[in-house]
Amino acid sequence: MDRELISLKFTMLRNTTPGLRKVGWVFGGVAVLATWAVALLASGDQVRASALTLVFALWGLGAAIGPVLTSGAGVLRADYFALLPLPRAALGRGLLASVLVSIASGFVLLALLATVVHALSVAPETVVVVLVGAPLTWLLVVTLSRLVYGLLGAAMKTKLGVEIAGVQFGLMFAAWFAGWMVVQVAVESIPKLLQDGLPEGIITTVVDALPTSWTVLAVDAAAAGDWSRAGLLLLALAGVDAVLVLATIPLLVPRSAAVEKRRQGRRSRALVAGGGILPATQTGAVVMKELRQWRRDAWRALESSTAVWTGAAIGVFALLGGYTAPVASFAGLIVAFMLGLSGCNLYGQDGSAVWQNVVGEDESSVRSDVRGRQWAMLLVFVPRALVVSVAFLLLSQAWWAVPVLLASIPAVFGAAAGAAILVSALGVSPGVDPRRRLGPNDANGNIALHVWIVLLLVPVASIPTAGMIVWSQLTGSAALTVAAVVVGLLNGVAAAWALGRVAIEYLTTRMPDVFSRIRYGQVFREADDGLLSWVESTTLKGEQDLANQKQKQREARLARAAR
Amino acid sequence: MADEHALELIDLRREFAEKVAVDDMSLRVPYGSFYGVVGPNGAGKTTALSMAVGLLRPTSGRALVQGIDVWADPIGAKQRLGVLPDGLALPERLTGGELLTYWGRFRRLPKDVVAARTGELLRILELDEAETLGTLVGEYSTGMRKKIGLATALLHAPKVLVLDEPYEAVDPVSARVLTRILRRFTEGGGAVVISSHVMAMVEQLCDRVAIVARGQVVADGTLDEVRRGASLEDRFVELVGAPEVDEEELAWIGS
Repeated sequence: MDRELISLKFTMLRNTTPGLRKVGWVFGGVAVLATWAVALLASGDQVRASALTLVFALWGLGAAIGPVLTSGAGVLRADYFALLPLPRAALGRGLLASVLVSIASGFVLLALLATVVHALSVAPETVVVVLVGAPLTWLLVVTLSRLVYGLLGAAMKTKLGVEIAGVQFGLMFAAWFAGWMVVQVAVESIPKLLQDGLPEGIITTVVDALPTSWTVLAVDAAAAGDWSRAGLLLLALAGVDAVLVLATIPLLVPRSAAVEKRRQGRRSRALVAGGGILPATQTGAVVMKELRQWRRDAWRALESSTAVWTGAAIGVFALLGGYTAPVASFAGLIVAFMLGLSGCNLYGQDGSAVWQNVVGEDESSVRSDVRGRQWAMLLVFVPRALVVSVAFLLLSQAWWAVPVLLASIPAVFGAAAGAAILVSALGVSPGVDPRRRLGPNDANGNIALHVWIVLLLVPVASIPTAGMIVWSQLTGSAALTVAAVVVGLLNGVAAAWALGRVAIEYLTTRMPDVFSRIRYGQVFREADDGLLSWVESTTLKGEQDLANQKQKQREARLARAAR
Repeated sequence: MADEHALELIDLRREFAEKVAVDDMSLRVPYGSFYGVVGPNGAGKTTALSMAVGLLRPTSGRALVQGIDVWADPIGAKQRLGVLPDGLALPERLTGGELLTYWGRFRRLPKDVVAARTGELLRILELDEAETLGTLVGEYSTGMRKKIGLATALLHAPKVLVLDEPYEAVDPVSARVLTRILRRFTEGGGAVVISSHVMAMVEQLCDRVAIVARGQVVADGTLDEVRRGASLEDRFVELVGAPEVDEEELAWIGS
């Protein structure tokens, strides 16, 4: 059974995008080389031990985060096997085994074997400890990766799980935007690390307590002649492995029948009875619907939570970086910026529910829909940005940033709300249709171009405010500072209005085509010239290329099978 | 009345790459009629109805709602149409009541009218208990989804209803309610078009029928005209064809 699952997994891997996989291999290879470099270049045995324990802890962290960020259709899902007469434990064991046999897990094992360098250096006979400990650590790291992913898979159903996924995506975006701060700190501290090891104190205590470090500790113990301590450490590692495996197996096979019914009582009684806080207009109706979707839909909630954690992570990076600490006060601005990315595929996230916008079309429906979605995004994100701003202002104590934030936050919010709705209209990218979504990446299709356009459009649309801020900061004039705040507000309103206006113009005649892209994966209308149509056709081509590639691989496989 | 037909499809055609899904299909649905469109899977029923309600651009041909071209004057036509598509998503994270409130206000009905019709539809379609429990549309059963979909189609009091598989997975008690609602709708002069696989149901409900196969209408007219004395199912099989199962084949079943 396990062997069948493993071969099925390789078959499915053969059908995933080769480009993405190669990027993964390169990253994995570089990480393995870096680990070995640390082992070989460390200045002494003690330093090597502490550096290796830190690096292995990072491997554990990477394995726990990695699969969430890269998960796609390539992974075996338990529900594929729902109808087979297999016991849950057997299926779970098979799914776990299928993960152990993979290229990524091979990289992990290669990296962990760098401990051999340490063993040879301290006492050659302790290599035997590594030969037992490295595989045990490997099982630990890979199982941990599945455990976190399994928790998250179930997790898109709970608020806490969505928040954990939000932290992970937030870290990823933060590393992407502000990784230089981390790299800076790392570049400064790696030679120091290789020279002196980890500074004694809380960090070493914590790292030593992690099971990923125990093999290294066991080697040291054995080298010191304390073989019983080495044995105990390895035994403890095996024990942790056993607990993790036992915890993971049932998680990989969720009970499909156990769908809980909500019993939380009537919602929105006043609204349904004809009341509600929002005006009972067409736009008000859209805002009401969107606010509830943002709050209750796990995939939307993940977007907004990712925005908050991206801002917070960048703030923390900046605080940790030392001289970069004042930058932390702009964490709330990052949250405003993230609105642009979080909302850049709103129509695609709605999936086939867009039929309502087509069927319910009237003179003002498109305008109301676009404006309502913009209002809802702002209502969701503005309070979060304010909370993050206040928190990091207090932490960084950079009070000079307050007028800059007052000018830039409204401008960036307006630009982001405009860019998001325009890009989501032009580049509808349906993921898995709403009712079939499971994993955290299921809501979007191929949105690479969307992200780039938003990254470009938001700064461009905020130029007037940026200019005013620079001017006011250079001169230090109080009047100019006030003017910058006013310009920021006007800039934001104008950007949201103008970009939304373009989206409305575009959608007025093309709502059926938006639906076509979602339902049929193509547009049944002659393309016309212009920038908007270029974005439309390029994003559509991105989706179709992906589909075609999969189709070609299927055909090639069929041809191979026929031979 | 601008036209003698509530809904008219004129040479509607849809090609997907090489495949012709709907092949110059024409249909006329008179006022007050209960019209059934039947056909095997993949015959082009859903594709044709999607084009008729403005969800899918036709390769060629026209669709008229009370004489108004759906693709030339979409706003005028869509005000008169109530649509229940098959297998599409809804705003899944709303309750039935929230969905109807959204939909009514989105279609610019006065808020007291929306509230009154929402309450009435939830009660008659027996979705009020789910509403009391706060059940979201995404957690509804298939039959409940059909019912809330029908409620959205009815909410703005359209003149023509186009319903794709409205009875699928609906329990017998709810089906009776549904039939009463639809009959009342046709008695008031409205027209109902439904698609279905279930011949017996179409025979019992509809006064006019079209049999669709391979993207074309192979027979249409009043129920009796189409049946020609046989049952609808026999006539359907005669027109569409069915694979014969030989005595020898599948002999292992039930052995």
